[in-house]
Amino acid sequence: MRWLIHRVIRKGKGSVASEDSVHDGDVLTIGRATDQAIYLSDLRVALKHARVSAIGRGQYRVESLIVAGIRVDGEITQAVNVGAGAKIEVGSTRLTLRAAPPGYDAAIEVSALDKGEQAAAKAGRARPTKLAQTWLGKRGPSWLLFVLILGFGFALPAASHYVKPLRAFLAHTHLPGTSFWNPGPLDSAHRQFGSDCTQCHQQPFVRVRNEACLTCHANTKAHADPVKFDLAALGDTHCRACHQDHQGADGMIRTDQGLCADCHAGLKERVPNASDLSDVGDFGTKHPEFRLNLPAWDANGKFAPQTARWSADLKEMSGLKFNHQKHLVAKGLNTPDGHRVMSCADCHRTEPGGAKMQPIAFEGLCHQCHKLTFDTLDPEREVPHANPAGVIYTLDEYYAKRALEGGYADARAPAGVQQRRRPGQTAEISPQQKQEALAWARERAREAAQTVFTGKACVTCHTVTAPTEAGQDWKIAPVRVSGAWYVEANFTHVKHSTMKCEDCHKNAPQSRASSDLLIPGIATCRECHGGAHADKKVQSTCIDCHDYHRAPELMKTGLKPSPHPLPPATATGQTPVATPSG
Amino acid sequence: MHASILTHARSRWLWIAIALCAVSTALYLWHDPGGPANGGTWLGYTLGTVAALLVVWLMVLGVRKRTYANRVGTLRGWLSAHIYLGTALILIVLLHAGFQLHWNLHTLTFLLMLAVVFSGFFGVYTYLRYPVLMTRNRDSATRDALLEEIADIDQNAITLADGIDPAIHAVVLRSIDNTRLGGSVWTQLRAQDGSDAALARVREAIAARASKTQKQAPAAGQTIFAMVDFLASDAGNSQTEALRKLIDLLSRKKALATRVVRDIQYQAMMEIWLYVHVPLSFAMLAALIGHIASSFFYW
Repeated sequence: MRWLIHRVIRKGKGSVASEDSVHDGDVLTIGRATDQAIYLSDLRVALKHARVSAIGRGQYRVESLIVAGIRVDGEITQAVNVGAGAKIEVGSTRLTLRAAPPGYDAAIEVSALDKGEQAAAKAGRARPTKLAQTWLGKRGPSWLLFVLILGFGFALPAASHYVKPLRAFLAHTHLPGTSFWNPGPLDSAHRQFGSDCTQCHQQPFVRVRNEACLTCHANTKAHADPVKFDLAALGDTHCRACHQDHQGADGMIRTDQGLCADCHAGLKERVPNASDLSDVGDFGTKHPEFRLNLPAWDANGKFAPQTARWSADLKEMSGLKFNHQKHLVAKGLNTPDGHRVMSCADCHRTEPGGAKMQPIAFEGLCHQCHKLTFDTLDPEREVPHANPAGVIYTLDEYYAKRALEGGYADARAPAGVQQRRRPGQTAEISPQQKQEALAWARERAREAAQTVFTGKACVTCHTVTAPTEAGQDWKIAPVRVSGAWYVEANFTHVKHSTMKCEDCHKNAPQSRASSDLLIPGIATCRECHGGAHADKKVQSTCIDCHDYHRAPELMKTGLKPSPHPLPPATATGQTPVATPSG
Repeated sequence: MHASILTHARSRWLWIAIALCAVSTALYLWHDPGGPANGGTWLGYTLGTVAALLVVWLMVLGVRKRTYANRVGTLRGWLSAHIYLGTALILIVLLHAGFQLHWNLHTLTFLLMLAVVFSGFFGVYTYLRYPVLMTRNRDSATRDALLEEIADIDQNAITLADGIDPAIHAVVLRSIDNTRLGGSVWTQLRAQDGSDAALARVREAIAARASKTQKQAPAAGQTIFAMVDFLASDAGNSQTEALRKLIDLLSRKKALATRVVRDIQYQAMMEIWLYVHVPLSFAMLAALIGHIASSFFYW
């Protein structure tokens, strides 16, 4: 096999010379040993470095003879088949395989790498020594993350606000919708809205409006009469000012002291002629003495409770005579049902809700001991309660019947009345006897009425006025315990059930007159309750006792002053007789 | 006295950051939001605004450090402020949110911010630790000088090897090719180079040559010098000397290569966190924009 070895020799200043030589042999050996076909003096070349053989059809096989391999077309290899044009780099020499010219079987060109090429080859093989030379980058990932997060975090949810089908689609996927913006858990009552933020957030970039709230909360009362008080001028009247959702169970109802105290300071100065409300702040230090309702009646006898500031010497005119001390006597009382030691709870029982006390009715309570009997010969018969005309009627009827029936064993009665008759013999009474008997009956009834009203029954508890002329009725002075003493406050007896009654109603067991005011004032409450920042006391804020939405008008009407405000509801006008309560 | 980025200007920015945190905390404790503390109160909006402005300013550092002509403070001062105010951001943002964390965009913003801040902490650590190590490692040489010396050693080693044995020459040749200085991200960070393996291979080759010339193989655990002395017993003095020199050279090369890859490693450690810090800060900026925009979208 005939090889053409074409050597390119660079001379200075860019001139190039070449010389050809011929090698005969199947294999072209390359190395630093002198017996190599292509002898390279470079120390980086092994003695027997590589060999090339022509394998026909213009193809060559390049084989490395050292373990380090040989660089063919930039790749280190042990053996490879290549075509013409392949470049082998050995040390600083480049061997280029050529297509065999006429008269030869193979050809190879030998040329030295110039300095530029050597440097380039070295640089090409150099490994990155700085992170900036690797695939790492900052700009690309920065942009990618920026766009991804802004897209999925804001653009997509925002788009779903406007495009309803997109909202529905997102709700069925794990892609972020507007609920991804949810800053915290909703109030439990609002969880029904699910992920539909538009229920409250009706317009973007507009704060939640009252109308959105009033869609459901239509019956919420206003705070104060909008006709009298320009609330908008006094403060924020938006629902959201107090009710902030997305705070879980804690946020929807403001309970802090500032809710009331911020406004109820200097109200008189700020709203001339519009408010007579005292300044209120901390319950422990800046709360005025309570105002309570005391029973009173107007000139027409209509119940019209009077409001007064609580004071220790305030008297209560309930119209009732009652001696607590007599009832609560420690050794007990002899009652129709036997010996009994009475306690407060025998008469004062809370309503089922546990807040107020139930009204004290004569029937079932007083009546257990205070029987309305009128005739010792008939100890079971009683007159009706709370019906003076009915009392007279009952007595008249009773004695008329007894007179005509006869058999009434009273020595003072006429003989005809005392005489026992067989049933059905009434008709045999002579008209004179009948007249006599009925005259006795009338007199007896009058006597009994006198006794019942002024002697032992009514007068025990009531103020009784006897008729001055014939035909007039007996009069019982009206009785009324206030109904709700503190109508502006929400007091709950059951929450205080760990206390004894007399802890608050201090003088009740010793009270001998019903005119004693047994309702405690603020000092008693302050024994346990302090303001919002109280130390060693129950921290109590305004909302613990007071309501905010308390005006007669609804919020809806309150938004615009109503020309026809609802009539003010009287908190005490509709409760039944004798309702002592907190 | 030398002031580091942390103690710049008598730790001025440390005190400013502490003051900022103290004022924010005092306001937070004093403020009665009338419910759970959250970002929607006046204090929440105030702290949120402060935090957002801080974020923008912290990100401007990336611009400031490129503008050498800028005279608004020294770059060291900026970096010191960047570190301390960036750290203060964690507390300010927590106070802004009233410590409320839920799975939403707002918390994502916070988590990204934490990731940015903590990657920054790693950066501070590298800036404080690695320049010292780097100086010590380079031992008043430059990396180029070290690389040149390695090239010289390679040249000398191959000349020596050629004078000993073709097999040794081939092994040395291969070791030159296989010495990896730098490479992939992982290689740079791990400070790996092939010089250990190369040296081991040369030793193997010498051992193989020894067993060829002497049937009795050298005992295990012998040092390479003992092996050379052993070889000297039946080889010419010049060969022994050449082998000694070769081993010396290759050991020297290994030491140099180790220093170079360590230099590369130190530099990579000082840079790698930025490839997390910077993209994450842009991710955080996007989340922050979304957080603010969404808060007012559904006000």
